[in-house]
Amino acid sequence: MTEQIDKALAREYEAGFVSDVESETFEPGLDESVIQRISEMKGEPEWMLEWRLSAFREWLEMEEPDWALVDYPKIDFQAISYYSAPKSMKDKPKSLDEVDPELLRTYEKLGIPLIEQQMLAGIAVDAVFDSVSVVTTFRDKLEEAGVIFCPISEAIKKHPELVKKYLGSVVAKKDNYYSALNCAVFTDGSFVYIPKGTRCPMELSTYFRINEQNTGQFERTLIIADEGSHVSYLEGCTAPQRDENQLHAAVVELVAMDNAEIKYSTVQNWYPGDENGKGGIYNFVTKRGICHTSAKISWTQVETGSAVTWKYPSCILKGDNSVGEFYSVALTRGRQQADTGTKMIHIGKNTKSTIITKGISAGKSNNSYRGLVRMNPGADGARNFTQCDSLLIGDQCGAHTFPYVESRNPSAIIEHEATTSKVSDEQMFLCRQRGLDPEKAVSMIVNGFCKEVFKELPMEFAVEAGKLLEISLEGSVG
Amino acid sequence: MSNAKNLLTIKDLHASVEEKQIIKGLNLDIKPGEVHAIMGPNGAGKSTLGYVLSGRDGYTVDSGAVTLDGKNLFEMETEERARAGLFLAFQYPVEIPGVSNLEFLKASVDAQREARGEDAITSADFLKEAKAACKQVNLPIAFLKRGVNEGFSGGEKKRNELMQMLLLKPKLCILDETDSGLDIDALQVVAEGVNSQRSADRSFIVVTHYQRLLDYIKPDFVHVLSDGKIVKSGDASLAHELEAQGYAWLQKEPAEDELEG
Amino acid sequence: MSEWLESAITRAQGINDWLLPKRANAIELLSNTKWPTRKAEAWRYTPLRSVERSVAKAINDVVGLSPVDITDLSAIELVFVNGKFDATQLTKVLPKGLSISLGKNLDSAQQKGALETFSSIKPERHLFGLVNDALAQDVVVVTVADGVDIAEPIRISSLLSQGGESHTRVQVTLGDGSRLAVIEDVQAQGDSLNTAFVEYHVASNAQLEHYRFALQTGSNISIGGSHFNLLDRAKMHSTIVAFGSDLSRLDTDIIHAGEFADAKLNAMYLLDGKELFDLHATVEHAMPNGTTEENVRCIAADRSRAVFNGRIHIHRDAQKTLAELNNRNLLMSNTAEINTKPELEIYADDVRCAHGATVAQIDKQALYYLQTRGISRSKAQVMLNFGFINELIDLMPNAALAEWVRPIIRERFSQMEVK
Repeated sequence: MTEQIDKALAREYEAGFVSDVESETFEPGLDESVIQRISEMKGEPEWMLEWRLSAFREWLEMEEPDWALVDYPKIDFQAISYYSAPKSMKDKPKSLDEVDPELLRTYEKLGIPLIEQQMLAGIAVDAVFDSVSVVTTFRDKLEEAGVIFCPISEAIKKHPELVKKYLGSVVAKKDNYYSALNCAVFTDGSFVYIPKGTRCPMELSTYFRINEQNTGQFERTLIIADEGSHVSYLEGCTAPQRDENQLHAAVVELVAMDNAEIKYSTVQNWYPGDENGKGGIYNFVTKRGICHTSAKISWTQVETGSAVTWKYPSCILKGDNSVGEFYSVALTRGRQQADTGTKMIHIGKNTKSTIITKGISAGKSNNSYRGLVRMNPGADGARNFTQCDSLLIGDQCGAHTFPYVESRNPSAIIEHEATTSKVSDEQMFLCRQRGLDPEKAVSMIVNGFCKEVFKELPMEFAVEAGKLLEISLEGSVG
Repeated sequence: MSNAKNLLTIKDLHASVEEKQIIKGLNLDIKPGEVHAIMGPNGAGKSTLGYVLSGRDGYTVDSGAVTLDGKNLFEMETEERARAGLFLAFQYPVEIPGVSNLEFLKASVDAQREARGEDAITSADFLKEAKAACKQVNLPIAFLKRGVNEGFSGGEKKRNELMQMLLLKPKLCILDETDSGLDIDALQVVAEGVNSQRSADRSFIVVTHYQRLLDYIKPDFVHVLSDGKIVKSGDASLAHELEAQGYAWLQKEPAEDELEG
Repeated sequence: MSEWLESAITRAQGINDWLLPKRANAIELLSNTKWPTRKAEAWRYTPLRSVERSVAKAINDVVGLSPVDITDLSAIELVFVNGKFDATQLTKVLPKGLSISLGKNLDSAQQKGALETFSSIKPERHLFGLVNDALAQDVVVVTVADGVDIAEPIRISSLLSQGGESHTRVQVTLGDGSRLAVIEDVQAQGDSLNTAFVEYHVASNAQLEHYRFALQTGSNISIGGSHFNLLDRAKMHSTIVAFGSDLSRLDTDIIHAGEFADAKLNAMYLLDGKELFDLHATVEHAMPNGTTEENVRCIAADRSRAVFNGRIHIHRDAQKTLAELNNRNLLMSNTAEINTKPELEIYADDVRCAHGATVAQIDKQALYYLQTRGISRSKAQVMLNFGFINELIDLMPNAALAEWVRPIIRERFSQMEVK
């Protein structure tokens, strides 16, 4: 039985190809001059450089965190290249026609056609390739609605007042080791501003691709939903199959003003490394949103990739009646390690948070939920519900739950539950007795286990996530 | 009828669970369209037979041969046996949280159609069939959307098994103590469902402890299973005999056993 | 390193007795230990400032302290006064099969055995466990012979005078198939500091009934632990009842070192004023087929702080484990604080493990219901609080102890300020 499951889990990583694109890549190494060069390449104003340098100085004083249940060799930050961009991007193509066809082909191969006619009508895409944004689609249509959706490097120049006000306002520069590093060296990412009372006319999406060897990807995303606005944002990521580990340290900040709503969905499929743990992405990500009065932020993530994941999308529920949600599916196999979860900080009155997580461990992987729910003294009538379920496939993996529950308000109610289970022999037998092969049976049972989370994803993503899980589980059954 | 080819042939079957032999030399021939009841005391090996035939892990065949439609059953995986037309209605139906009944049924039907080289049924057509089946077994349509057996009552689970049978249209149905835990009304619904499926090319093995079910599903043959083999066979009247006598006489006739051996 | 720890190490270095090898090991470990700050996970919510500031000193006076009298409780009394074992209070003739003696009085063969078991169950990660290893001198060794059922419970009392510092240590071994009940109790007067650790080795088929009372309050600092090693089919049932003090910390470790062992732990703590209580309960399922059930309930009022860490660790080989932890907390004021962290760490797939934690206030509907029947709000609150805890008291196997502790708890509730 376990043997079958393991077989079903051995999978091909379909996004593992390398694009043949001539790139301009910095020599490995990190010091102030590298940061100056990044800033120069981006044509940034002086204040931005200063901001980066101050973060860099903070970072130098900080220590790498060691509290997560992950184990990886020490990262040599001097062996990483901090900037890489296709040469063809240097002249800043004005339209899709001018973009290197190889780049367009890369995204097409990944199932993200960038030619607008071929695209899913309802989704605008910002495609980030290594350190630069290749193209952002449907911009005109979005501009009509007053929505700004552009690479953050562009926003720094065109909308400095917004960037200055909000960049680093949710995740402080020295919040943690990787966020400080990101502040110093981030290269690109997406910027979104939804004006007051506006419902974004389409789903926004950023697709991150690491291509170049030995580079780190440090993207930065900032989403501001002004009063009463609404936006749904999707994020996807892949990288080629390589024997070396690569670092991805992103920071995402969300600002939901009064009555605004941000729905942020991620399907993370970075290269996870091979069966023996060789290669793969180190995914060290800081994601946090702040909710003002009656605002809502909902994080949904499907994590199937990366060799090591360290990620806690969080909500600061500052305004009264604000709502935070976290829905997560994390699948680990081979030698993958995931330490992921959320923080819900209840500050305002009658704030509500919901946490639903589904961890699936297979192979020799380790999968941990780590979360914090904090009720501050002012959080009268606040409410949290947390449900963490783990599914173990095979007896060589680990599933762990580390919830921190802190309450300082007697009228707040916190409920936390965690369970663990396995794909039972009875379930497998029933499915097979009805004619299903073991692979199909496992993927069906696992999909059922994840259903509560999948139903939170936008339609297109739900399908993709289901498929991703199926691919992940292929050959893993016995 | 006796000239027809056997659908199922069991020859001198010996099988074990956790190294303990449970089936000890069982012989049985079933022709298309026949209904065979297997009765016997607890621990006789009634449920084990269903698990061995359907290929459940942990149930080991020690010796003997079984063919279904002339094919060696033991060369097939569990799902291949199902696709070859073998259906087991579980005594204790399994819950699969989050997987809807409809999704599960569609996947099963698709897998079996595919194995037969047929095209997948369209979702709309399938839904129509599933709704009809639901109605036939007296389950609310809403049950199609619910997780497989999740939170179903005992009777609902049994009816859900029957619904699966209606949709999968197997050649051989093994009903494993389908009557256990059912009240008389539920029993009738289940029996009617089974009877509606009786046809010249579908056979049944009805495993039961009590004669009660056989008042509703009239068997062509009744076999008494004791200590892993069939010790007595007869027609439907044997069931009534058993009802009157109980199973105690089985233990009292060791001599006969020895003679047979 | 803190001055307090440095002084402890210096004092320990001056002791030379049969425990020397173990003491030397503890001193070595302590010398390499960083004094925990908030960043140390084990002390995240429990600051050690009060220990750093403590001026408690060892006191040699043993006169005038004796364990509290409990109606209907007839126990074999094992009394430490200011850290010294007071043999005069052990008046009972010991039943056959039970031996109690000071480690230093054992013959050399027995001492060798005792030395091997000393600190073999209590994990090294407990900082104050190491302090106790280094500073405990009157180590008492209790042994129950195979198959013997000891009818009377043993009560281990650690009694402290005002300003006193003590480090008490007992090791208890239950032979195959034996039965024993042990009550651990600390009674301390103000400004005192103590560490009290007991290690239990529960052999195959043996049954241990265990109680730990930490009802000392005020400016006392108590850090202690009860650590259990369970062999095949061993059973334990433990009850912890605690109030808080300036610093009251308890570590328990239950190790399923044999198959089919069964552990039950019911803990309750009721905090008032500025009290702090911190329970760290770890269960290690190292072998298959074990069962664990934990119920932990807390009520925190006024400006108190409650800390709970409940870790269940299922090792790779511990298939077929059933382990459950249920943690319920009532927060009575918005200046009090509850911090709870149930943890599961699971490396075996065929197991059933779950934990649940809730933090809430008293059920308002129940409160209202009682009020409509004419009961005053404050009385109703006491009743409901008491009921919440009494569910666990009812599970105490020893009726005399339950009868003794019930009015004490009721009294505490009636003093809690209702807001």
